[in-house]
Amino acid sequence: MTEMQSNIDNQFTDEMNSENSDHALCNAEVDEYFMNIKSELGQVDRLISDAVNNLVINFHYISKLTKTHHEMVLVIEKMASPEASKPILELLDKQMNIADKIEQELEMAITSLQFGDLVTQLLAHTTHQVEMLNMELQRVDREDNWRNGKTALHTIHEGITKAVNIAKTKNNRKPVVQQGMQMGDVELF
Amino acid sequence: MAKTILAVDDSASIRQMVAFTLKGAGYEVIQAVDGEDALEKANQHTVNLVLTDINMPRMDGLKLLALLRKLSNYKTVPILMLTTESSDDIKAKGRAAGATGWLVKPFDPKRLLEVIAKVIG
Repeated sequence: MTEMQSNIDNQFTDEMNSENSDHALCNAEVDEYFMNIKSELGQVDRLISDAVNNLVINFHYISKLTKTHHEMVLVIEKMASPEASKPILELLDKQMNIADKIEQELEMAITSLQFGDLVTQLLAHTTHQVEMLNMELQRVDREDNWRNGKTALHTIHEGITKAVNIAKTKNNRKPVVQQGMQMGDVELF
Repeated sequence: MAKTILAVDDSASIRQMVAFTLKGAGYEVIQAVDGEDALEKANQHTVNLVLTDINMPRMDGLKLLALLRKLSNYKTVPILMLTTESSDDIKAKGRAAGATGWLVKPFDPKRLLEVIAKVIG
């Protein structure tokens, strides 16, 4: 092997290494981008879970207090003599109405408090979609030869479209279709 | 004697809301975090009704349903699915596997109690 040939080979090897390094870097960047999205989705999930846990604790506490309040009003009503003054009896009646209304509101809160579960499932679904798209784009990136200029732009577009379509088909069905927190359907078989 | 309901869901907040609703109506509630846990508890206790989610880790609700229906003491026990899923194909799978009914989340406590009362009397 001549010295010139050796230099050319070394130069070629360096270029190849540089290209591979760029290639690896590009993959790592794409990967990092998708990992950041996943990490942010995870953060949203943790924040929501934390908020839901706190709301459930608050819910139980308010529920206990309401029950106690209700029982106390009943006891006071029993203690009040039949000839007790009208304003006191009216006040007790109002107290009982308030206790009933709080209990009704708490019942409604049971439906609303289920939002955490719906959001967690949607976030898991979206995270899975992001993972699938990352995998498919990485595959296209590994398989193509557009880096050496042999691939036409439309082929690159086709490759990306194919990756998105594969990610879509690999993706499970959307587990949550609800658009609001209204009560869901009930069906007995 | 109070009837016992096995409530299965991987979401702690859903389990708590279900338990709160059912206990308030006088039912005994056993909670399970997924299908495997539920299967274990179903074998340890006498259960009058199973209320289960579908999407859960380790063992999902449809697999649990199929396995419970293979147990002699769960052949006729009502099993209600409580899930976010509402597509016709998955409902058909549940029905074929032996589900008694299908409730889509979020549930309304009064409606849930009405359905349970209708199913277990």
